[in-house]
Amino acid sequence: MSDHSHEEAGSGRTTSPYAARIRAIEALLLEKGVLTEPEVQDSISYMEARSPANGAKLVARAWMDEDFEELLLSDAKSAASQLGMKPEHPAEFVVVKNTPEVHNLIVCTLCSCYPRAVLGRPPDWYKSFAYRSRAVREPRAVMREFGFEPPEGVEVIVHDSTADVRYMVLPMRPTGTEGMDEEELAELVTRDSLVGVNVP
Amino acid sequence: MGGSPAGPIDRGQHEVEDWERLADAINSALGGKGLQTTDQHRRALESLENYRDLSYYERWVAATEKLLVEKGVLTSEEIDERTAEIERRWGGP
Amino acid sequence: MTYEPGDRVRVLPSAKPGHVRTPGYLKGKSGWVEALIGEFPNPEELAYGHSGLPERPLYKVGFLQADLWDDYEGPAEDYLYADVYEHWLEPFEGGST
Repeated sequence: MSDHSHEEAGSGRTTSPYAARIRAIEALLLEKGVLTEPEVQDSISYMEARSPANGAKLVARAWMDEDFEELLLSDAKSAASQLGMKPEHPAEFVVVKNTPEVHNLIVCTLCSCYPRAVLGRPPDWYKSFAYRSRAVREPRAVMREFGFEPPEGVEVIVHDSTADVRYMVLPMRPTGTEGMDEEELAELVTRDSLVGVNVP
Repeated sequence: MGGSPAGPIDRGQHEVEDWERLADAINSALGGKGLQTTDQHRRALESLENYRDLSYYERWVAATEKLLVEKGVLTSEEIDERTAEIERRWGGP
Repeated sequence: MTYEPGDRVRVLPSAKPGHVRTPGYLKGKSGWVEALIGEFPNPEELAYGHSGLPERPLYKVGFLQADLWDDYEGPAEDYLYADVYEHWLEPFEGGST
């Protein structure tokens, strides 16, 4: 039996009744041999290893290397694999590019799909009913809440990931960054800009 | 949900709790072994009557339970029993 | 594959119960096929443990926001893409919704 439960007992009870319930489910699944401890641990590690830093690396490399950008836009999983990421997931992974004419915003109105295999867990706001409801209908008002207004003449394109594709935005490289190296560029790329609610 | 009226977006981020990590992991692990699919999980989520009252990972736990019971892997009764035991060990519900 | 990029299509207004991946706000709306994404097993059947075969074509479909929402507050050029299965689409001959 896993000993995660010792931590929670000591640190004080969480308020959700589902905390104990999922522990119960885990314990039963392990006892019945449906899952093994290593399998559960591997799944935990899988998600912990993924974060928006992966997205930032992909973007920074694309900003510096036109061929990589082309690969990222045509076969994002291969681009991610090239940088050592393991984007294993049955769903497709597609990156959409912001340009001076077009700004992209990603949402999953049906359930909060997100490119977890690359970026890890989505932010709480992305999963909220408010975001899922409003992003399709009033994307500009949503972006305003995140402090961003696209410049005059820029079209806003919303992508609702309704099926087997997960989307990420390739933001435009900010001006005045010509002297920066890839690491410095990656630091500019925020998780929120990869969803498209604002820009780096 | 898309297009429904809704209020301002809460931009706060809560610390992911251990049980939520576990909910995520159990779901992935079951998927990895072909014991459930993304589509089954989504369907189970959508069928939750109290969808609106539960948090994101609470919904996941409820959906996972629903699928496991549906597939005859576990029963709700044994989950109830074990949950009660765990809560006793933690010092009472 | 029934549709080519550029084809005008309409999303079926079907009230099919159970698990579907076509959001309510798109039903009955018309747009254009942007691209064929690929073919995938039908999620409506996978959801209930069936094989979902034969695979169905999935398209990236574009909709003008002004066609989706009466009160859209943004330029007429703004649009939205959703990924829609072929069996949820029908050809649309008219100019707009």
